[in-house]
Amino acid sequence: MDCIISIELGTNAVRVYAFDLKGKTIAFSKGSYPTFHPYPDYSEQDPEQIFITMLYVLKNLLNEKIHAKKYKVVSICFSASMHSLLAIDKHGAPLGNVITWADSRGQKEAKILRESDAASEIYSLTGTPIHPMSPLIKITWLKNHEQEIFKQTHKFMSLKSYIIQQLTGDCVIDHSLSSATGLLDIYKKKWDKTALKYAGIRADQLPEPVPIMYSPGKLLAQYRVSLGLPAATKILVGSSDGCFATLGAGVWDDDKATITIEDSAAVRVVGTNVLVDKKQRLFNYVLDDKHYVSGGPSNSGGIVFEWFAKQFGDFKNAYDVETCMEDLITEASSVEPGSDRLLFLPYLLGERAPIWNASARGVFFGMHINHERKHFARAAIEGILYQMYSIEKMLQEHRNIKKISVNGSFASLPFCTQLIADIFNLPVSTSTNASSVSMGAYLLSATELGVFKNIDEAAKSVQLAEGCKPNKHNHLIYSKYHQVFENLTAKLASDFEALADL
Amino acid sequence: MNQFELQQGLCPELQLFPHLIAIGNKKNNAIQLNSFRESTSDHLRIFYFIDGKFEWEIQDEQYLLYPGDTAVILPEKKLSSVKGFLEVGTIAWIDLNVQKLDYRNLSLGEWSNLTESELLTIGSILQLNKPVVRSRSGETCRIFIALQNELFNHEIGFHTRVNQLLDELLVSITRELTKQSNPGRDFPKVFLQLEKRLRENLSHQWSVEEMAATVGMGTTLFNERVKTYTGFTPTNYLINLRISESIKLLRKPEIKLTDIALDTGFYSSQHFSTTFKKLTGYTPSEFRKKNYYS
Repeated sequence: MDCIISIELGTNAVRVYAFDLKGKTIAFSKGSYPTFHPYPDYSEQDPEQIFITMLYVLKNLLNEKIHAKKYKVVSICFSASMHSLLAIDKHGAPLGNVITWADSRGQKEAKILRESDAASEIYSLTGTPIHPMSPLIKITWLKNHEQEIFKQTHKFMSLKSYIIQQLTGDCVIDHSLSSATGLLDIYKKKWDKTALKYAGIRADQLPEPVPIMYSPGKLLAQYRVSLGLPAATKILVGSSDGCFATLGAGVWDDDKATITIEDSAAVRVVGTNVLVDKKQRLFNYVLDDKHYVSGGPSNSGGIVFEWFAKQFGDFKNAYDVETCMEDLITEASSVEPGSDRLLFLPYLLGERAPIWNASARGVFFGMHINHERKHFARAAIEGILYQMYSIEKMLQEHRNIKKISVNGSFASLPFCTQLIADIFNLPVSTSTNASSVSMGAYLLSATELGVFKNIDEAAKSVQLAEGCKPNKHNHLIYSKYHQVFENLTAKLASDFEALADL
Repeated sequence: MNQFELQQGLCPELQLFPHLIAIGNKKNNAIQLNSFRESTSDHLRIFYFIDGKFEWEIQDEQYLLYPGDTAVILPEKKLSSVKGFLEVGTIAWIDLNVQKLDYRNLSLGEWSNLTESELLTIGSILQLNKPVVRSRSGETCRIFIALQNELFNHEIGFHTRVNQLLDELLVSITRELTKQSNPGRDFPKVFLQLEKRLRENLSHQWSVEEMAATVGMGTTLFNERVKTYTGFTPTNYLINLRISESIKLLRKPEIKLTDIALDTGFYSSQHFSTTFKKLTGYTPSEFRKKNYYS
């Protein structure tokens, strides 16, 4: 039987899924790699370790679950986290580690660009908000602070480009990932001259932008033999994790949005038009030749609640943060909506959309002598979701969203899903697939194989489980709290800056 | 505790315990200027603070020490008082001879009943953590009092009991240190510490027991946590690190293959070549040829 492999190069781990042609998961395996923080704002990963981890996980999955059961691999499709940057010298060797999306060393560079005349042109042509996450800013930082590396760099790659180059020899980047670099003209799908000039690089120092269905060269013979794959196995360059998660969640109509909450989070919509936001708060990333994925990302996802659990939860077993979080959620569910007038601003890692303020910090507001840990736990969860609601309200300025689909480990906790329905006052469905990202990769691969006529038909085939209906009464309560939440966020902006300057 | 001071070679009480260089408990009533300059010692020095407030510098870091704290100064490590004199107060101390202590080994001598792997764990933990235990459990105090009683009262079995108590003191200090540094919450953090150490010492022949000891965990829990967190057994994780590092070195044409093999912890270039080929399909020299663009 034929099968499709999806390789997700995520923030913390590589996840490999195998699907049959109907989209049923037949095998899954994952391997993690660490992120290094040599200095406070740095966030880096070892490219060779990611490559070897991927190879090891893929090889074991193939040997144990695919070859052993006589499946034939017809295609392998890649996805990866956005905004990564890896400098490569003329011999093909990396000049240091991969800089990940979470790296914020370029705060000053981002501020300078944001306040310059070039900002609005670069933002509106490239679709990427001006922020340290963006490779445009990262390259500018290298130019200013690591001149030797900057001069020696032959290519500025994304992590996925590097991995695909190792496997096939081709140096390419898909339109989705390239549209998240701050360097691609999202209308023409070519590297943008103004942005290149600002970064101080030439187009030939970047991989070639290609459509997500593009197939680079075949696997190099040695890898093919070592992995036991037939010569005909097709490699698909694939998309970014964010774009695939949106496709895989089946959010394909104008009135739908998807909320993904893992460690970080995002609210996204799909459409055939770029959403023009004068305040430069939204991203517009390319999915394929017709579709754009637009929305807002947040740093304050599940990682914030995990922080809360680690600091304040009860650990029954060593290192068992999952059980600890479950217990806290049970506690939180016994508190009334609004946490008895306790509010939490979840900006432990600064915040991206909609405030785009790296200096923002977490705040508990409204503490009273009667508040117990359970109130703080509930306030923490509500705060994370109010933040999502702020992003969704910003998208409502452009769209009339009537349905929400959630995915990601934090958002799909039943307690959170119901809270989202109540806070947003919208029906919420959950994705039945283990990974929306890999589901997106499957849909693309299956379309390429002719299982679906086109990507629209593929997206519409996604089955969504009947989810939660909003409770009107709770919504009224939450919307009052959310108003205070937004007031506080706005009022504290200058104090966040003052705190950062101390 | 009553005040006392025993020194090896001078006091008959220590004759049966040649490894116990000194033990004592003293109240310092007056400040003597320049009485406490920087010192190092061949011995393992353990201090327990009973009364007063002490400002000491241990291995170039300053610590404020309060009653109930225990400080452990490893052989050859620097100790001094920030003010240059011993502050007013009461402290108890033990100087213990160790045969060997480096980052792979701790040997105490025949007298100790700790097993080799326990010693390895204790040795790593003592070297990896801050030298100060802040515990209010009173364990160290209890053991000091018991030691003093055994040494002076000579009751039945005191010879064995003294050595047992010394073992117990080391075990109790190590347990407190691991509790202090790994409160059992953040495995990713603990794992990152280990990762760093593995990368810094890739050529070392790590055993799983040793890796577990490095982060102060038992082998079973360690195995299970690493598998859940990374998807790999500790051994396979290490092999992947070795191969990743070797790829970086293979991209530098001036480094010899044999050197790469040994630097990244393979037994031989043959072992390197087989392991590398098994995963990538390339031998190291083929990989080098294919991946260096001139």
